[in-house]
Amino acid sequence: MTVAGTGLAIETRGLSKRFGHQDAVDDVDLTVPAGTVFGFLGPNGSGKTTTIRMLLGLASATRGEATVLGQELPGALSSVLPRIGALVEGPAFYPFLSGTANLMRLDSADRYASGSTRRSRVDAALDRVGLTHAAGKRVKAYSLGMKQRLGLASALLSPRELLVLDEPTNGLDPQGTREVRNLIRSFADDGATVFVSSHLLSEVEQMCTHAAIMSAGRLVAQGGLDELRRVGDAHVTVVTPDAERARRRLAAFGFVTDEPAEGSGRVRATVAVEAAAAPESIVAALVADGVRVRGFTVEQVTLEERFVALTGEGFDVVR
Amino acid sequence: MVRSSLRWMPAVLVPLVIGTGVVVAGASPVVTLEEKTPEQVLALVAASDVRSFSGTIQQTSRLGLPEFPSTDSGSDSTTDSVASALELITGAHEARVFVDGPQRARVQITENLAERDVIRSGSEVWTYDSEAKEATHLTLPDKTAAHDSPAWTPGEIAARALAAVTPSTEVSLDPASRVAGRSTYELVLTPRTEDTLVGSVTIAVDSESGMPLAASVHARGESAPAFRVAFTAIDLAAPAARLFAFTPPAEATVKEESVPDAALPGTLDARDLRSAVPPFGVSGSDWSTVVELPSGSAPPELLASPLFASLATPVDGGKLLGSALLNVLVTDDGRVFAGAVPLNVLQDAAANR
Amino acid sequence: MSSAEPGPARAIGERAPLGSPSGEGESRHPSLGISLLVSELSVIYRRPRTWALLAALAAVPILIAVAVRLTDDGPQPGRGPPFLDSITNNGLFVGFTALVVCIPLFLPLTVGVVAGDTIAGEAGHGTLRYLLIVPAGRVRLLLVKYVGAAIFCLSATLTIVLAGTVIGFALFPLGDVTLLSGDTIGPGESTLRLLLVAGYVTVSLLGLSAVGLFISTLTDVPVGAMAATIVIAVASQVVGALPQLAWLHPWLLSNHWLGFGDLLRQPISWDSFGANALLQLGYIALFGALAYGRFTTKDVLS
Ligand SMILES: Nc1ncnc2c1ncn2[C@@H]1O[C@H](COP(=O)(O)OP(=O)(O)O)[C@@H](O)[C@H]1O
Ligand SMILES: [Mg+2]
Repeated sequence: MTVAGTGLAIETRGLSKRFGHQDAVDDVDLTVPAGTVFGFLGPNGSGKTTTIRMLLGLASATRGEATVLGQELPGALSSVLPRIGALVEGPAFYPFLSGTANLMRLDSADRYASGSTRRSRVDAALDRVGLTHAAGKRVKAYSLGMKQRLGLASALLSPRELLVLDEPTNGLDPQGTREVRNLIRSFADDGATVFVSSHLLSEVEQMCTHAAIMSAGRLVAQGGLDELRRVGDAHVTVVTPDAERARRRLAAFGFVTDEPAEGSGRVRATVAVEAAAAPESIVAALVADGVRVRGFTVEQVTLEERFVALTGEGFDVVR
Repeated sequence: MVRSSLRWMPAVLVPLVIGTGVVVAGASPVVTLEEKTPEQVLALVAASDVRSFSGTIQQTSRLGLPEFPSTDSGSDSTTDSVASALELITGAHEARVFVDGPQRARVQITENLAERDVIRSGSEVWTYDSEAKEATHLTLPDKTAAHDSPAWTPGEIAARALAAVTPSTEVSLDPASRVAGRSTYELVLTPRTEDTLVGSVTIAVDSESGMPLAASVHARGESAPAFRVAFTAIDLAAPAARLFAFTPPAEATVKEESVPDAALPGTLDARDLRSAVPPFGVSGSDWSTVVELPSGSAPPELLASPLFASLATPVDGGKLLGSALLNVLVTDDGRVFAGAVPLNVLQDAAANR
Repeated sequence: MSSAEPGPARAIGERAPLGSPSGEGESRHPSLGISLLVSELSVIYRRPRTWALLAALAAVPILIAVAVRLTDDGPQPGRGPPFLDSITNNGLFVGFTALVVCIPLFLPLTVGVVAGDTIAGEAGHGTLRYLLIVPAGRVRLLLVKYVGAAIFCLSATLTIVLAGTVIGFALFPLGDVTLLSGDTIGPGESTLRLLLVAGYVTVSLLGLSAVGLFISTLTDVPVGAMAATIVIAVASQVVGALPQLAWLHPWLLSNHWLGFGDLLRQPISWDSFGANALLQLGYIALFGALAYGRFTTKDVLS
């Protein structure tokens, strides 16, 4: 089918969702290449879960279109959903049933899943998330982390081409977080596309190849992680007594220099990352100009700064 | 979205379908029958020889009397008996009737989780009340045992109405209809006088057997019948014989009763009535007949009961108990005038005595 | 997309032989939903709450039987619930009496709890979204939920009948049963009639289940849906007791609830059964259609 054609696992055009007067998701054009681990990054309330709900047919879009695994939604939902495993807004189970019984229940709801292999698939999924020992316990007695794992197991009951995981590490201890990260990598190694949302940049940086950043319902950036890092500014700081000369030389490289700090002997300059020349050639040019370079630092732009720059700083939820 | 509005279509269609079904079922059915004159239909009734059947009879009244919730409230026995009498002539009642020839019949007055039965097999009569768990046994004298069809079928009521056909009544036919799933001729008796509350009496006659299947009495100016007795289901096959062989259940209290000839239902006629009640006077004729009871014949405790007070309206010369088909005037001096006539006819009768 | 295709779109899960490969969903034969129904029933009956409800229902005949047993002179005819006075003669009547006692409130209460919980309960647990992305299919899920509630109705009435029969036989003799018509029937036919009555009562509750199912699609708060369903059952009976609203009575959900007396006459009358079934069918059609309209267009945000 067309996944191979376009190479896209998910594509949305102008996808929007309105709750009352609030645009929870506003005109989102998402492009998720097949075979990637795609981070869907945004602070709380930025519209990640809402977008995922629309991609899974749980909610209808107010406007816009979505194509998932090459098929148009919501028309093709019934044939697309069996190819997707998902975790949405945290795990949810019947507290009075055991972990095994919960998975059996979900699997028997799948009309394409075979009843004869059900038990073995459930056991395999539990094993894969390390829950075999707690499989017989009622979910009531599970910790949040155990529920999170059980949720992941439920997404793995049948072979899937696309995994949509909404904040899968929520509530996990550092050990669990690491395991989930490994799990996600192993899914990717199996060839699935993993679409994983998170409000933690570090997490996305550690496990994703691609990312999109949401802010207040809008998609503010997307692409490969390196690409995203490259977008933005690079800073160099030169420590020299010949500040004026250094400034001129840097300006020639396209840098904008900060206001000189009185008698500090430091020149700090900024340039767009993609326009930045290699550090060694800058130093060579400065020295050639007779600038006495006593120190030279290049500030690597972290995605963190980009993230904060794009989505705003502070603890408050944007809306 | 078009898609989502389509999903609501069933919710729109279902009430439409149900509504249509109800309207179609309730509409007067179009029945085409061989043309007959009223006389021919009367002859059909006279020639009817249905002797066995089982069916369900429904009696509905819209007499314009207030209805009471059928819960027993209070301990006033007069009020109770009046209320239960009122209950019988208001609202709807249902009975199952099984008849096998003139000698064997069973009537079941059915209520929610209760039933009253009258079973007759030859000269043996049983009554049974499921709520009181009481059975009564009567043995009929031979003379009455020969009596024919029971009095509570539409047939009997229709026969009486037809017997009353006099020059004061116009007989006509309405378009054919359908009762209890059978096509019927609709015989209409219309009083020629204005001095009666009765607008018309309609009798539905089974086009095949000639058996009257429904009788309704319309009050003047009302479209819905004030009183109607009709089969809702009927089967002309003979009922199972075991229905007429009644053995009272072990836990019931059984009363043996012997009954004087005259007091049996179905054998009452005007002469018996005259001997059974205080002497009464009659004025007017046919539809506008007024019956007068002398002073003191109405029980004083009844007249004093709050129920009577709430039902009666004071009018010139006394108190009126009014309903759609029957007016009863209790004069200030205690006489009672009753008839299917307007109030002014009763008042005239009272004044002329 | 076929999983045999190489490259990035190959499905995960193939490291272990986990069932048949995905992506061929349309070409395989989908199951009808029997396994979903079985799983639904196991969720209903593995739930402690369900057993608490059934135990409460079973307590009614037991209470009645013990109370009648402990009173010296026994109940008088015409007082108390119908059939109460027959209990001392025949244990089978415990079941009848208990059904009559339970119909106005206890049965609607338990059915309201289960029917109101159908969709709203899943939404409340959050499991609804997971069932839908499996995908269970919204229409299929709705149907299975309704059938599950209907089966609960049957188990509820059977619980009363069974508990009544057992306690009745334990405390009272087993004799002939007197029908409303005054005729007596033997134990074999009595059992048959008792089961017919249980069937009648079950059918009576099907319309209410459909109402509960619809209300359940309106909210994510199961307690609200349960309460609303029960209120409707009670309101229907209140309206049914008001003669001023007689024109409305034929349309009431509860109009024929006590009509199972027709099954205790001689000969048996099927009039009420037919009328009741038709009425309940109307309710099922209407509220089923409403539930369909609502549930298939609803945003699942729980
Ligand atoms: N059911 C709802 N009704 C109204 N507003 C909602 C609902 N669900 C989410 N929202 C709003 O939509 C916005 C996006 O929410 P969400 O998609 O859950 O964010 P995220 O998953 O990125 O934290 C939030 O502002 C939230 O308040
Ligand atoms: Mg979220």
